[in-house]
Amino acid sequence: MRELAGKLLRLDRRAIFVLIALATLIPLLYPVGLPIRVSPEVRRVFDHIESLPAGSVFLLSLDFDPASKPELYPMAVALLNHAFRRDLRVVTMTLWVSGTGMAEKVVSGVASEYGKRRGLDYAFLGYSPGGANVIINMGQDLNAAFPADHYGERTADLPVLRGIRSLRQVNYVVSLAAGTPGVESWYVYGKEKYGFELGGGVTAVIAPGLYPFLDTGQINGLIGGLRGAAEYETLIGMKGKGMAGMDAQSATHFIIIGLILLCNLFYVVAPGTVVRSFDGPQDGPGPSTGLRTGSPQEGQR
Amino acid sequence: MATSVLIGAWVAAGLTLFMFSFLYKDNPFFRFGEHLYVGVSMGYTIVRIHYDVMMKSLYGPVAQEGKWWLLVPALLGLLVLTRFIPKVSWLSRISFAVIVGFGSGVAIPRIISSNILQQVQGTLKPLLNAGSSRFGMAELNALLILTGVLTVLVYFFFSIEHKGAIKIAARIGVYFLMVYFGAAFGYTVMARMSLVIGRFDDLILFASRDYAYASVVLLILVTLGLLLWERGSTGLTTGGQRRTQTPPA
Amino acid sequence: MTLFLRRTLPLLLTFLFGVAFAVQYYIPHPVSEGALTEISIWLRIILGFAMILGIASLCQVHYAKIRTRVAGWGYSLVVYFSMLITVAVGLWARGQETGTGLGWIYTYTLLALQGTMFSILGFFVASAAFRAFRARSKEATVLLVAAILMMFGRVPLGEYLVPAAGPLAGWLLNVLNLAARRGIIIGISLGGIATSIKIIFGIERSYLGGRE
Repeated sequence: MRELAGKLLRLDRRAIFVLIALATLIPLLYPVGLPIRVSPEVRRVFDHIESLPAGSVFLLSLDFDPASKPELYPMAVALLNHAFRRDLRVVTMTLWVSGTGMAEKVVSGVASEYGKRRGLDYAFLGYSPGGANVIINMGQDLNAAFPADHYGERTADLPVLRGIRSLRQVNYVVSLAAGTPGVESWYVYGKEKYGFELGGGVTAVIAPGLYPFLDTGQINGLIGGLRGAAEYETLIGMKGKGMAGMDAQSATHFIIIGLILLCNLFYVVAPGTVVRSFDGPQDGPGPSTGLRTGSPQEGQR
Repeated sequence: MATSVLIGAWVAAGLTLFMFSFLYKDNPFFRFGEHLYVGVSMGYTIVRIHYDVMMKSLYGPVAQEGKWWLLVPALLGLLVLTRFIPKVSWLSRISFAVIVGFGSGVAIPRIISSNILQQVQGTLKPLLNAGSSRFGMAELNALLILTGVLTVLVYFFFSIEHKGAIKIAARIGVYFLMVYFGAAFGYTVMARMSLVIGRFDDLILFASRDYAYASVVLLILVTLGLLLWERGSTGLTTGGQRRTQTPPA
Repeated sequence: MTLFLRRTLPLLLTFLFGVAFAVQYYIPHPVSEGALTEISIWLRIILGFAMILGIASLCQVHYAKIRTRVAGWGYSLVVYFSMLITVAVGLWARGQETGTGLGWIYTYTLLALQGTMFSILGFFVASAAFRAFRARSKEATVLLVAAILMMFGRVPLGEYLVPAAGPLAGWLLNVLNLAARRGIIIGISLGGIATSIKIIFGIERSYLGGRE
């Protein structure tokens, strides 16, 4: 038993990789569709959008890049669907340079499904460098921060932005963030001074760190990770990528819980087992490019 | 389906598999994908800087609206680039002084307000409001939060010796921190698994008949490629050993 | 004069900008608000140029690899070629993604590559959990239990098997996790403010680079 435990602890890590791959693949191919409980923090974002009268200004900042697409793209789809259904004036932008193409795609894609016209019903302002500084700039003078939208149209001439001189005239801001600049930047440099209501949608990595701000009301709601996206899809009655991924999420979590419990059991049975550090591929990707992360302003994923 | 979409699906599926091949071991497919990612990422950033900064924020306002004073920040921006010319690299300090000075200045009052005052208020307010009502779950939670905040701060207070009551408080703080790290780990697992799900979802899509079974065909090809590479590198190693064992003629 | 330009002027500028915009927050006079608007526009432009710095430094790294023909220098050629092609296609597309070559490159290469690069970490997290996540001490046990509760209670299967798991994970997040994180936020913020003050008053000068 002791020998077996020792052997299993020294198992080639590629065996675990195969296990994770199967736990992801099988539920994606054969979904079960377990019910998803909606948490209060996600419901608050939904309720706030529901409470906005048609024509209110909703600013969605897509502060993420392709690395976080599986978590935040479904959130963006769900929020945009909700906002367009409610006939809100939708203004979108990004603070992450490599997220620009993705943001443009999701905004124009969902807008076209609802027959919304660019410039009239919605705007995509595009990217502007400076992170927190862009937020200050928008709070002071929105047209100065974005003299033209992503397509080169003067923002001052866009009907959808009529009457919006700064962030003070925006009714609700939601930042979908994968790090810094993101939700934290929006309340420290934006809400703090310009007084708009703020909600957050973030990757699961940073979600636990935002609960203090949820408690103080600095953000009125929080959508965390793919699970949060699935909850929002449930609320708006949409079957999207979030819900589709939940069975696989359950399966992989249970596999990892099982691995942790086995690990502890094996160490009890075979104490003092030494596990080699490199008995498979090296510890992480990206050894030689000089660039380990994609976005120059990335803070946390 | 448009040809460009079909070709795109094959490229995306191939590159995804190239990157996943790292799970077997570091190999030329992964290295190619990794360097391609860096190059495309840099190229895309250059394009965005050109259109979103140079054209939209600089050329447009200066040339079309006559805001000539924006040439001053453009000059300061150019000074940043003197970092690459050792003789005049000190000029970049002027720009960095403006960036860092402004950044520090705007941060101080906002961080005091958002991250300190409001957080302290959020910790104390529930307890102060609870004065008149019966002690229930909300009050217990508020008390736990206050205990956690204070003990974590005590733990981080390095300039006092952790002895007696301070030591006990710091120990409690450590347990609170462990719960936070545990929650963070649990959520990190959730995030990473979501990314795996996202990529697998795309591979499943590209494996369909509509995309001419791109993922399946490419998976076979990449596996064959890895086998050939493995054989090639093993052969080289064996050859090398043989050469060292053979005495020179 | 040279010393003034090289050292005193940057320190003076940092001090002036730092003090002015810290005070500005408390004096929202139209003049000070106008200054904040204008300087925030300036900063966006300067920071746009600063992004070139990062790209140029990466180009230097790969150029050096090609020049010295170090092992794997061919991959650095891939970096250069792909960068130049993306720039050329991007300029041809006038920076627009919809229905253009730039959009194609973005969707089918950058999205796939960057997304997969980070998803690989998922596999390594699982492997690390199996090998290293042990309850060696009381503290590690608390960490382990919190992590398992979170992984169990925040997925539909966990909530389906044990309905109380979801609310319990929620309580953990909203009370214990919140308390620790709030302590960290206050601590980090105090440290950040102290560093900002040191920068403004010229005590912390590392951002200037060099030894002068």
